Amino acid sequence: MQNHIEKFRKKLHLTQEELATKCGVSRQTIISLEQGNYNPSLDLAFALKNALKVKKIEDLFQV
Amino acid sequence: MIGKAEWFQRRKYLGWGLYPKTWQGWVYIAVFILIAIIIQILPFTTNTKLISTIILIAILLIDVIHIMLTLKKDEREIKHEAIADRNALWILLAVLIVGILYQSVTSSLKGVVPEVDYFLIAALIAAVIMKAFTNMYLDKRD
Repeated sequence: MQNHIEKFRKKLHLTQEELATKCGVSRQTIISLEQGNYNPSLDLAFALKNALKVKKIEDLFQV
Repeated sequence: MIGKAEWFQRRKYLGWGLYPKTWQGWVYIAVFILIAIIIQILPFTTNTKLISTIILIAILLIDVIHIMLTLKKDEREIKHEAIADRNALWILLAVLIVGILYQSVTSSLKGVVPEVDYFLIAALIAAVIMKAFTNMYLDKRD
């Protein structure tokens, strides 16, 4: 699954640490997500969508 | 409790337990070691030193367990820990079984009734029971 987490994060001028804190995960998890090495659960996917202020989850993740 | 979860991270590469993440974590360890040394240096009787050390270790154990239970882990860390612990368990079981078989075979070859360390068998039985109870709990919960 592809994601655009890094793109939306940089748009909001957030660091990985800040995004991690907003989503309640570790910075290492954000790194793994951005590198495409880890697929989030539904809960985490929606937490990322809300934290990155993305309208639709499909804009953030693509199969 | 004494220690805080934010001072520590879980130990990943060298066994189980905690590893200090902040300076407060290192101070926490240093204080416990210092108290243990002071107990040994002070002119107490051997019994008093022994009881004091046991109390200190008990306090440390309870506190460490509390810290480990309150240590926050995200879903990725939980998954990684589960896989790592599962692999550790499999190798532990393999070594236990090899140990039991080795003891049985070597004692049999000596012409005696197979002698096996009962703790090894007890460890295997305890692991089977724990797995069963955990699965029953998880099936009920989810």
